[in-house]
Amino acid sequence: MPARPSLKRVPRATFLGRAIAGNLGALIVGVKYFIDPNRITLLYPHEYIKLRQGYRGYIVLIFDKCISCASCARICPARAMKMVTMEVKDKKLNRAMKKKYPVINYNRCIFCGYCVDVCPTEALYHVPYHDLVYLNMQDMILNVEEFQKEPEFVTAKEGVPVTYVFDEKRGLVKVSVEESSNQGSSSQPAGGGGSS
Amino acid sequence: MITATRVLYDIGWGILHYIIFYPPVYQFVIIPGLVAALVVVIFIIWFERKAAARVQMRYGPLEISPRTGGAPQLIADLVRYMMQEIIVPSAVDFMSYILAPNMSMILSLLPMVAVPMTSIPSYWPIPMSYSLLIAVALSTLSPIFVVMMSWASNSKFSVLGGLRESFIVVAYELIAVISLLSVVPLLHTFDLVTIVDYQFSGRWLGLLNPLALLDAFIAVLMSTSGFPFEIPDSESELVAGPYTEYSGLLYGLNMGGAYIRRWAFSVLIALVFLGGWAPYRPEPGIVLGYLVPSLIVVVKAVIIMAIMSFLRAVYGRYRLDQALSLAWEVLIPIAIAAFGLSVFEAFIGVHP
Ligand code: SF4
Ligand code: SF4
Repeated sequence: MPARPSLKRVPRATFLGRAIAGNLGALIVGVKYFIDPNRITLLYPHEYIKLRQGYRGYIVLIFDKCISCASCARICPARAMKMVTMEVKDKKLNRAMKKKYPVINYNRCIFCGYCVDVCPTEALYHVPYHDLVYLNMQDMILNVEEFQKEPEFVTAKEGVPVTYVFDEKRGLVKVSVEESSNQGSSSQPAGGGGSS
Repeated sequence: MITATRVLYDIGWGILHYIIFYPPVYQFVIIPGLVAALVVVIFIIWFERKAAARVQMRYGPLEISPRTGGAPQLIADLVRYMMQEIIVPSAVDFMSYILAPNMSMILSLLPMVAVPMTSIPSYWPIPMSYSLLIAVALSTLSPIFVVMMSWASNSKFSVLGGLRESFIVVAYELIAVISLLSVVPLLHTFDLVTIVDYQFSGRWLGLLNPLALLDAFIAVLMSTSGFPFEIPDSESELVAGPYTEYSGLLYGLNMGGAYIRRWAFSVLIALVFLGGWAPYRPEPGIVLGYLVPSLIVVVKAVIIMAIMSFLRAVYGRYRLDQALSLAWEVLIPIAIAAFGLSVFEAFIGVHP
């Protein structure tokens, strides 16, 4: 995928031109990649894509910041977020009172991020990964305690973080995260990075 | 004691010489027959996956032993095929259902009895004077059993697959026969040894008659349903072509059978067009006169097969009508042209 696609003219008008130039062109491309492969497949458990800041992954609640306004539950288009009533001890008034806090049902959540955006006190935030596995559907409905913990990112324990960068000549190439940060920039690395 | 060891040595030598190195046995069982064919097939299937993966930006088999590029994957597949239950549907014609894959496998190796591996007459499996003709004739036998498999399966999908197979068979056999035999008017012989001997001059018949080489190459691809002619058993549209009702090791036999047919043809092409054991002159002795030349032929044939496997990465699959029109409208005229080229070369005196 070059940045500016340029049309290549191959003499394919006549029958012989089609048969010879077409086949030769295909073979040359094949040999080129056979000698110098550009493998972009993600070997998933051994490698994983290091997602950038701002990725809408799983959502975590910061309990102390939440003011129980329920905006998040109201805006949720999938009805994944609900408010539940909890007994908490109010610090100022120093007495037990009932307050509402959000919980989330990942069976329904579509990771649109509206809840995070709408929260007035920034009590919700995304973690930049989403590839988690639950053993059953019940586990995907979190309660308030679970909602406050960042989910464990098991893939990161054994996998190597990689990222895809765009190269002028080769198209997409896969580089490990360290290499791409060595090249200096995060969003638009300029060329190079020929490892695969 | 000395006599005892002497006798043992004689027995051992006798077994080695008269059983293992007895030409028909050696040729059919060891090189280039069953043992070599199995090793080559396992290597080639692995290579095919890896080559296609490299070209198509993938990795290919890697999970078992990543350091060797997943090379033991094929052994694992073989074990899996052997463990699988063979399910025989109740509607099939039992005898032909079981026999056809085995016969097809054996018959695909049969051309091996007619190919010489050395120019020393005592190591020839059969008299050589019509060996090219015999090898070509034997190589056209095994597709019959593919059609028989589809018929015995008693399933409409299998019959459709068998029909497609027979279309292809009728098309490619003519091409293969004409293009392989087109060396005959040039050298005035059906004898594969003479054909190889002529190529010691450095004038390989593949260079003298590239049209015939190209044609034979494409015909082999068609006959063994290699890409881009993987038409009879195109798994994404037809269930599995003629092999729909087969499972377990019987299916493995079918899959391996195509590769073994390709192997037999590759050996034949290596002998006829690429000089056989050409740079090396066989000397007396089993190792120098028999083993070494056969290894040279094997290496050449493996290179041909590797190129064929590489094509899988480049081409997409043809439709049946495209393949047939390619065969009847393009390849057969080319084959006849190759024949004419040979006649012409014989006329202007390239002939020895
Ligand atoms: S991310 Fe979207 S769907 Fe998920 S809980 Fe928030 S608002 Fe609802
Ligand atoms: S929008 Fe924020 S502050 Fe309001 S209930 Fe939800 S998490 Fe709490």
